[in-house]
Amino acid sequence: MKNQRSQTTFRHGRAVVGAALGISIFAAGFTGVVATAAHAAEQGFGPVKPLKFDAKKAELGKRLFFDSRLSGDAALSCASCHNPEKGFADGLELAKAYPGSSGFRNTPTLINTAKRAAWFHDGRLGTNLNDVTRESITEDYSMNMDMRLMQERAKQDPVYVKMFKDAGYGEPSNGSIRKAIPEYLKTLISKGSPFDKGKMSKSASRGFDLFKGKAACAQCHSGPRFTDDKVHKIGVPENPEIWKDPIRHTTYVAFAMFMGVENYMNIRQDVGAHVRTHKSDGSDIGTFMTPSLRELKYTAPYMHNGMIKTLEDVIEFYNLGGGDDPTNRDPMLKPLGLTDAEKADLVAFLKALSGDKLNGDAYVWNKKFPTEYAVIPNWRKARN
Amino acid sequence: MRFKSSLIAASAIAVALAVTSGAVSAAGDPDKDAPLAPLGKPMIPADNPQTPAKIELGKKLFFDPRLGGDASTGCVQCHEPEQGWAFGDALSRGYPGTVHWRNSQTIINSAYLGKLFWAGAAKSLESQAKGAATGAVAGNGESDVMEARLAFIPQYRAAFKEVFGDTWPKIGNAWRAVAAFERTLIQNDTPVDKYLGGDKKALSKSQIRGMKLFNGKANCVECHNGALATDQKYYNLGVPAAERWTEDGLAQISFRYEQYAKGVTQEMYRKIKDDAGLYYRTKQNRDMGKFRTPPLRYSKYTAPYMHNGAFWDFEEVVQFYNAGGGSNDFTDGTMGKTKTKILKPLGLSDKEVADLVAFLEAFSGPEILMEKPKLPPYAPLPDVANAN
Repeated sequence: MKNQRSQTTFRHGRAVVGAALGISIFAAGFTGVVATAAHAAEQGFGPVKPLKFDAKKAELGKRLFFDSRLSGDAALSCASCHNPEKGFADGLELAKAYPGSSGFRNTPTLINTAKRAAWFHDGRLGTNLNDVTRESITEDYSMNMDMRLMQERAKQDPVYVKMFKDAGYGEPSNGSIRKAIPEYLKTLISKGSPFDKGKMSKSASRGFDLFKGKAACAQCHSGPRFTDDKVHKIGVPENPEIWKDPIRHTTYVAFAMFMGVENYMNIRQDVGAHVRTHKSDGSDIGTFMTPSLRELKYTAPYMHNGMIKTLEDVIEFYNLGGGDDPTNRDPMLKPLGLTDAEKADLVAFLKALSGDKLNGDAYVWNKKFPTEYAVIPNWRKARN
Repeated sequence: MRFKSSLIAASAIAVALAVTSGAVSAAGDPDKDAPLAPLGKPMIPADNPQTPAKIELGKKLFFDPRLGGDASTGCVQCHEPEQGWAFGDALSRGYPGTVHWRNSQTIINSAYLGKLFWAGAAKSLESQAKGAATGAVAGNGESDVMEARLAFIPQYRAAFKEVFGDTWPKIGNAWRAVAAFERTLIQNDTPVDKYLGGDKKALSKSQIRGMKLFNGKANCVECHNGALATDQKYYNLGVPAAERWTEDGLAQISFRYEQYAKGVTQEMYRKIKDDAGLYYRTKQNRDMGKFRTPPLRYSKYTAPYMHNGAFWDFEEVVQFYNAGGGSNDFTDGTMGKTKTKILKPLGLSDKEVADLVAFLEAFSGPEILMEKPKLPPYAPLPDVANAN
């Protein structure tokens, strides 16, 4: 967390101030000592502002995003799990994975991902989308790609050779692939929700008041994306499939081993952000990033492990004060005593945070990919 | 077609060279050749002794595709028993979505080799197994995920505990077990072994004539010597570049990937169009295009031949040597001029070629086949299984 904040602020050239701020926010996140009034002032609700992007680089990134040649066996693309029809998620409790593995987390939406401060449910990458792209493409259980081979595949496709050149990247390279995909991700910004258009129903408007008030959702779900970009422990039950399905468990073990989690063969709990902060007292075990509340209409089921199927159940979960075990959750969670009508209003509000589907040609590469790699003509004379 | 045209070119060069190169043999052989000999037992490394349980475990692991990236590509996929424990195409099949860039070599008698892979990149069967399982155009596996998979296969858990004392299977021990199994895949009772052991009826008359040519006029023994019929040294024979590199986009990708992965200079990456072999290990120009002399044992079952599978049968191979070898980018100065001076046109008659081919077949005994083992299934860990 500290690392994340200081790196983020470093980009803005305020490293010293940022680091100090980072420490205080970090402490608040884990102790639950949140000054509610101060927090409300920072809530800053409003539309997600579009990001500037380079059209040619983003167009290239779009083709790469939908191209299955970016995985080791050339059978999976980024879009295999981040499906535009499902809000750039996959509609599953737990993600699919590369053949031979099975996912242990719910696929998060990529809409507004370019605005995040840290990525993956555990926030383990706090740098930038270039690193996130590398991680997702190379990780053995996601796309299992050797990026050197990926570069040579891109160089073999005349369409890419032209697109990389036109985008100002020169020849295709693994470095520019990792730049172009984030450029495309900048185009995936929420738009057109009833909330943003000021066209919420009365029920949704009442829900918004509850959200900021009685239900106290805004303690964590603040800002245009309705997230504080921090980790919290809310006590979502473990998804038993991770441990019952030996292939999923295998995948979790490989992940935990790689992340340096101790005793990885004997844990039966997703340790969450502990993989990043490795606190010796284990107080970070079971903490996960606050998810954005944008586009929930398209991205059920919910939570880091897909354990809650509907928004109604999500509200009920919080109404009861979060997970069953009070020692295993942030003290800011308390039973809320919501009436049925209030619950319905909150659900209506959450639904009003979903906008237009991002699924037209502007967002989806709908042209065909070649089924074979073209031969480089006059290969003996061509420079590699 | 490509072979024939390069053959003609090679013959022309060879005729020209023959006038001047007589001095090489006249100067005497500085490298005394061990004669062909019967093959004994392989050396077993002191740090990985053979035990029946380890061999049995290694056999299962060899056949288990879960020791690869997508759980479909294990050792056996490129070393098929029915294909000479190799792969019956010029270039090995490679990982799904790729093609490999070299010919797959047989596992049979690999126990005797000092180094593995065509340019000797691995110093032991143990490290060869790991290298092949993790290479992007081979097994494309990652050690942590492969190790994790082993832990969820109860039979393997028990076997690793018994064999290695592992609480949880260690991936390094998987390669030790695979190597132990491979050290049982030997053949040392071929017609050549029997003949050299005193059974004069083990070879036909044609084969005996072929052996004399092998040791004499054809001078094969210069490199194919000793019990393995290899000196395990590295030479450039002028084997023509793989045709597939000019014809197949998939192969072009793998070719460039290998240059990138092996860390050649930028300029070399841009220029190179053929496999530089030993050079990748030593980065010495004198090693460009050199490959280890392959053993001739079990070769009856391992066509096509050479590091890139350029030749489809023994006759093509013998004709290649009869012409004094060939030419490639490492013989003609494009990338280097490293062709071995040992090769000269041999002037073999058709009958002599046939005798040599017959003799080459005597390096192979019966085909070694075995039933593929039944692979043990995954299961949840005991505490999870019992809790349900």
